[in-house]
Amino acid sequence: MKVTEFITRRIEAIEFDKTVFDAVERMVDRRIRSLLVRFPGNDRENGVITARDVVFKVLAKGLDSKKIKVSEIASRPIVCVDQDLEFGQVAKIMGESNIARAFVCDDDRIVGIVALMDVMAAALIAEARGEHVF
Amino acid sequence: MFFKKIFPKSNKEQEVIRDITRHIKLLCTDFGFFKTALETSDRSLMREVMHIEREADSIRRDIISKIYDGAFLPYIRPDLCKFVEIVDSIFDLLEDTGYKYLDVKLPDPLKDECVHVAFLNRRICEMLLIAYEAMLKGEDFREKMLAIRIYEKKIDDIKFDLIRDARSIEVTNFWEGEILSQFLSCLTSISDVIEDASDHLQIIHLSMK
Repeated sequence: MKVTEFITRRIEAIEFDKTVFDAVERMVDRRIRSLLVRFPGNDRENGVITARDVVFKVLAKGLDSKKIKVSEIASRPIVCVDQDLEFGQVAKIMGESNIARAFVCDDDRIVGIVALMDVMAAALIAEARGEHVF
Repeated sequence: MFFKKIFPKSNKEQEVIRDITRHIKLLCTDFGFFKTALETSDRSLMREVMHIEREADSIRRDIISKIYDGAFLPYIRPDLCKFVEIVDSIFDLLEDTGYKYLDVKLPDPLKDECVHVAFLNRRICEMLLIAYEAMLKGEDFREKMLAIRIYEKKIDDIKFDLIRDARSIEVTNFWEGEILSQFLSCLTSISDVIEDASDHLQIIHLSMK
């Protein structure tokens, strides 16, 4: 099963110069666990900020989320996978990179995001169809 | 096969089973036409969706007639008829969505997501067919049901994004906005009805035990 079959095409993003508080506000508002951080340049230059980054790099250290920019804690570069890849190949990349979500790209343009939950769902659907993801 | 074990000698039941399979397969074809028509903006192909709905109606009438002509034990007939009616209502909903499409100018920012929903609708329909065939073979089809629910949830997620995106589309008059809203609503509610059909399939399966 191709990764494009089950990706999330709408990507929530935040500019690199916004504060962590802005990011938290957006994540809570949209009920999501990560945001794409837009840096100047092409899409591959962007970063990602997750709820994990916010909790461990800011909140748990007692830092003020309104004084820290997302660019300071965002992970860069993002992990991009080709849109023509199969779910099994994407899962392998995610496992090797130890990441919970990967961005799906068409050359330098991000077309969607795939999370571990999507891999799990794809594996189950493939199984139901009599195919295999892994 | 599951039904064959219960009705080994009757041809009427086998005819109904074959017709229901044909009905669901036609629905998959209908979804395929719809998705291609949407993707390629092919209005004549979209009209084909309306023709298929009429063919589906005729299959539905045949099935219901055969059931009440003595196929299956009376206690199972209402559930089978209900399942067939639900599947038929999906054809109706798809036809409505097609008509709305012909009436609306789909804004470019929404097109990709609409095509993706159409694609997922086709996939969920194929899964309904797989679940139905698994039930006939007496196989466990819990994973197929779960797959249908996963697809439905995915479409639901896209629905909320689409609604949010649609709010930023400029419309020139009330009806343009109204029909666009109806189109999106129809397109994203089809999966709910397919899920209802799959739930009913499970009821039939349980009642045959």
